[in-house]
Amino acid sequence: MGKFDYVISIGGAAGQGIATPGNILARLFARQGIHMYAYNAYQSIIRGGHSFLTVRCSNEQVRTHGDVIDLLICLNQDTMDRHLEHMRDGTAVIYNSNTINPGEPADGVQLCPMDVKELAGKGANKLMQNTVAIAVACQLIGVEFSALEDVIDFQFSGKSEELVAENVRIAKGAYDHSAATFQPASQQMPTGGEALAVWTGNQAFAMAAAGAGVKFYCAYPMSPSTGILHWMAANARELGIMVRQVEDEISVICMTIGAAHAGCRSMCATSGGGFALMTEGIGEAGMMEIPIVVVDVQRAGPSTGVPTKTEQGDLWQALGASQGDFPKLILAPSSPLDGFQTIPDVFNLTDKYQLPAIILSDLLISDETSTIDPKLLDMHPIIDRGELITEAGEEAGSYERYKFTESGISPRALPGIPGYEHVVASDEHMPSGILISDEFTHPHKRRAMMEKRQQKMTGLLAELPPPVIMGAPDAEVTLVGWGSTADVIQESIEQLAAEGVVANHLHFKWMVPFHSDEATELLSSCKRTIIIENNYTGLFHRYLRGETGFTVDGHIRKYDGEPFKPKHITAAVQDQLAGGDAISVPYEEIIV
Amino acid sequence: MSIKLNVIDLPKDDYTGGKSTLCPGCGHDQISTVIINSAWENGLKPEMVAKMSGIGCSSKTPAYFLSKSHGFNTVHGRMPSVTTGAAMGNRDLTFIAVSGDGDSASIGIGQFIHAVRRNLDMVYVLENNGVYGLTKGQYSATAVKGSKKKKGDINKHQPIDLCKLAVNLGCTFVARSFSGSKKQLTALMKAAMSHKGFALIDVISPCVTFNNNDESLRSYTYVKDNDLELHAYDYIPTYTPIEGIEIPEGEFHDITLFDGSVLRLETIGSDHDPTDAVAAMAALHQAEIDNKHVTGLLYFDSNKSTAIEDQCLVDTPLADVPDEVMRPSAASLEILNTRFRGKD
Repeated sequence: MGKFDYVISIGGAAGQGIATPGNILARLFARQGIHMYAYNAYQSIIRGGHSFLTVRCSNEQVRTHGDVIDLLICLNQDTMDRHLEHMRDGTAVIYNSNTINPGEPADGVQLCPMDVKELAGKGANKLMQNTVAIAVACQLIGVEFSALEDVIDFQFSGKSEELVAENVRIAKGAYDHSAATFQPASQQMPTGGEALAVWTGNQAFAMAAAGAGVKFYCAYPMSPSTGILHWMAANARELGIMVRQVEDEISVICMTIGAAHAGCRSMCATSGGGFALMTEGIGEAGMMEIPIVVVDVQRAGPSTGVPTKTEQGDLWQALGASQGDFPKLILAPSSPLDGFQTIPDVFNLTDKYQLPAIILSDLLISDETSTIDPKLLDMHPIIDRGELITEAGEEAGSYERYKFTESGISPRALPGIPGYEHVVASDEHMPSGILISDEFTHPHKRRAMMEKRQQKMTGLLAELPPPVIMGAPDAEVTLVGWGSTADVIQESIEQLAAEGVVANHLHFKWMVPFHSDEATELLSSCKRTIIIENNYTGLFHRYLRGETGFTVDGHIRKYDGEPFKPKHITAAVQDQLAGGDAISVPYEEIIV
Repeated sequence: MSIKLNVIDLPKDDYTGGKSTLCPGCGHDQISTVIINSAWENGLKPEMVAKMSGIGCSSKTPAYFLSKSHGFNTVHGRMPSVTTGAAMGNRDLTFIAVSGDGDSASIGIGQFIHAVRRNLDMVYVLENNGVYGLTKGQYSATAVKGSKKKKGDINKHQPIDLCKLAVNLGCTFVARSFSGSKKQLTALMKAAMSHKGFALIDVISPCVTFNNNDESLRSYTYVKDNDLELHAYDYIPTYTPIEGIEIPEGEFHDITLFDGSVLRLETIGSDHDPTDAVAAMAALHQAEIDNKHVTGLLYFDSNKSTAIEDQCLVDTPLADVPDEVMRPSAASLEILNTRFRGKD
């Protein structure tokens, strides 16, 4: 069996029910063991606008939405008008011929008009065009009708039996019509794979936190982080997690701090605007040495920005979160799975080193649906709460919350333990917790406490894996990235290899503390370096240069709200290798 | 001489705190003394008390009482939400919070409102003087209109009355007192500690440095002379009290508090019914018109559920629930995965 790699795009207005066919396709593929990655380009609107869902499926692991469209499903005229031009020889376009004029396709594009009135019957619900479209799409790529029927049953479970039966009947009519009328698609979907699960990055992060023993989660709804809140709220009761929707992000972070202080593993999530409100609290957790985990799901900013579009724009906001100079842990996972596997470590590290952790996610990671092999998911990772005092011991009566130690880590007693009473304060303090901010200010005491806190970073850095170069050691060019661009860079490297260009990959996840020496050494060993970022000014490059003194040779940047496609990076690398400009800004052809 | 012990056999020394660094004569120190006496006489377990505060003169005072309790000085105005989180994490802690008018009526007013709305089980002592002391005496949002502090112009702005706000929000215990009325404040403080739910005591506590001049409507003398007491109060605990209780001569009626103790309201002048929210608003409104300070228990409601009860939390504090219990089981993971796959 050859490689199956097929991209279906569905376009329509918000409110036309684009999510339902998307979910049906996702489930259908997952059940057949077909890997799937869906990217939904949408807008901050309940009804109207243009939503464009791209579902890429393959019999191999797939983690980007790819470069092309093989099958276009138009739910409205707008979709036809916008995207017909992207369809090339061997592709197909499905549309409702009652309401949509097809326009002029390129040679070799199969138009598949659906007479929805005829197929669905008079008086059928408007949403039935979705069922017709999905049935035709399934038929074209060779999905057995029984598999589609199963998923329709599931999708509409909870609705009336009549509705399910009507959808199945209409789907069957459309499926048979397609078989009799249209040519099969250029690729046929293989069968027989073991069923996969479907998730989003937000769900992955939430599940990871649950597995790591989070007992308290709170949030103020903010796109694109809301999926974490939804998952937490939906599963809170079953999993025993205290979940709260709170009045604003200031209260969110403070409640998180309060719950963490009381002894619960605590997390909150937001996007850049909410994170801005939280920064005061990040400093509070830093000063009080309270372990909390904050997820910033970046979206295109500044200010309200573009709530439904992606960007890697918040790095410096995270670096500079809160006034003062204090230890914090900052990381940017590269994918839902990477986040899932890393988050338990993040909780262990924040507990051990008693500091705030900031996880930089972004819309691309958080919101997109993809398949995952459930066997890769360990819901019972090791929990290490560090030096936590939960019952009275020898130090009762003489306990010092901020005791000076070699590691800088002072054992943390939870409130409520006799003999371990102490004050935690946003003011600077002595080892006992007594404030030195007003009457007792003392430079030597301040210095000692600053050094104690910062000493923790030495131990923390030693626990973080240093960066490594992935791929050919003597590559002609090294592609440098951070966070969510890892998978698209990987795919571009494969494309470059096919073009005879040997590229390798240096990707950064751990931002603070940073392995400066190792990074400098690696970068210095590269023949040529190009850095890829979803922002305008090369935020990570500026940080990297600060930490290493190293300046890369070229940049590929995108700041139009849409994520990179592999071909964007491939073309830009080729251009730069051929002597083109050192800064490439790929053109986005899909306008949504 | 034998040392007096309270109902849990602790001397008063176990409830005192560090030396105050506030200005000599500050009303806040009186309030600290009342907190010490009330906590001792009510027999609170010091190690189970969390003293919560924000930033400002008032918020420094937890250092001056209950040094054997836990303290949490949050950043400015954020104490209510930190307390909410801490209460969710450990429902067994007793929260005694001290805040000021800058903390609660300006930078943290949203936080105050939401804590009241949730009926978080805590004592919320507002040390209210109408000025920002630590930053040298600017007016705060509770400054009385027409009042003049030591330096600067007459205040032209309508004050925010946090008692009115609290009554409006359905706060379950709303009292106003005066730092110079030790007997009244002590009875109210003890009652607040015995209350289940959000207990606000707005204590007019004159700033001796910046707002104690003759033109001020918040000076010690002005407040003392214009204090309209709703009732005289006695707190009657469930155990034999350390100090004897005077039996009132006139009319009185009792309010039974959550822990079984009683707040006895003796009628002086016209009788105020603290279960009547409209009467509470009327009393506050009239006092404002007359440039008076109405003190006493304004409003009381023992029937509302608390934030913790609304969340249906387990009896064990969340922080003490072992990870084995809290973490998702293999079975619940399997349910989740099944759901993702869409097969049941």
